[in-house]
Amino acid sequence: MPLLSPEILAYVGVSTVTQFACDPVEQGAVRRYAQAIMDDDPNYGADAPTNTPWAGPIAPPLFPNHAQRNALGTPDIVQQRAHDPNFDGTGGQTNGLPPIEPLKNFSVLNGGAQFELYRYARHGEKVQVTQRYAQITEKTTAKGSMILVTVEAEFRTDNNELLLLARRTLIRRPA
Amino acid sequence: MTNRSTPRFEDIDVGFELPCLIKGPLTTAHLMRWSAAMENWHKIHYDRSFAQEHDHLPDLLINGSFKQQFVMQLLKDWAGAEGWPWKSSFQFRAMNKVQETLTVWGRVTGKRRSTSYGLIELETGILNEHGVESTPGQAVVVLPYRDGPPLPYPFVAEE
Repeated sequence: MPLLSPEILAYVGVSTVTQFACDPVEQGAVRRYAQAIMDDDPNYGADAPTNTPWAGPIAPPLFPNHAQRNALGTPDIVQQRAHDPNFDGTGGQTNGLPPIEPLKNFSVLNGGAQFELYRYARHGEKVQVTQRYAQITEKTTAKGSMILVTVEAEFRTDNNELLLLARRTLIRRPA
Repeated sequence: MTNRSTPRFEDIDVGFELPCLIKGPLTTAHLMRWSAAMENWHKIHYDRSFAQEHDHLPDLLINGSFKQQFVMQLLKDWAGAEGWPWKSSFQFRAMNKVQETLTVWGRVTGKRRSTSYGLIELETGILNEHGVESTPGQAVVVLPYRDGPPLPYPFVAEE
């Protein structure tokens, strides 16, 4: 029995209005991010050299891809689903895209991504993103059937300067 | 760009191998620190019983989002401040489990001339300590010509 249904396919083409990150690119968040990925590039610190094309402190290349956080006062999915044994911890940050309801209890794996980088985000800037469900397909392997969800995203600064284009594939499998 | 000078387009030959980046062993603390840094609470990276019993995974998984940072770091550091890590794409074909040590690699597969800069095409990947490739991909790094102008910043594609 196919997993892909008209109800799921109806999400293809669904896009978001532009979403702004609730916080600007701030020094502490950049430090935690850089320490987590173990990249001690001096350009990430407050005392970054200024004789570079970007002329001061920046964030790591893919930082905008992870800049969308849940603002204070927004629904807390971790608490909402605290008693749900099937809750896998995901779903809180959709960058404005509606979750695909029929896949609510499907597991999620990261299938891959494509990035085009145009500029680094500077400390103090705000990141905005628009996203859309670009493609949803079904694939069958020896391990069974899965749904592949492709999301396209465009990241810009609050001055509308292009930072990053992303196209990522999520693998959704019945839990 | 980390204190590394930018190679010039003319100086790089097809087959050139970038200096590898070694990450690991990646412990539960590394995975938790990355999850916290990006505020992503997917349990398969820190809740072993959920990963194994609910999602039927072999162990805690190293995040795909974590591995993609390493590929970008490899390209960025090699490009240096005068080059540009323009494009990178990859598939997460195999799982990497907690405690693995990852070697991130890149090899030049082609060169193309544009008007004011050169384009270096690469294949990239991530091997674990058993030599298993998990993240095959391709990339394009932009390099200046030896006597050419600086690259535009923000980067502007000529093609």
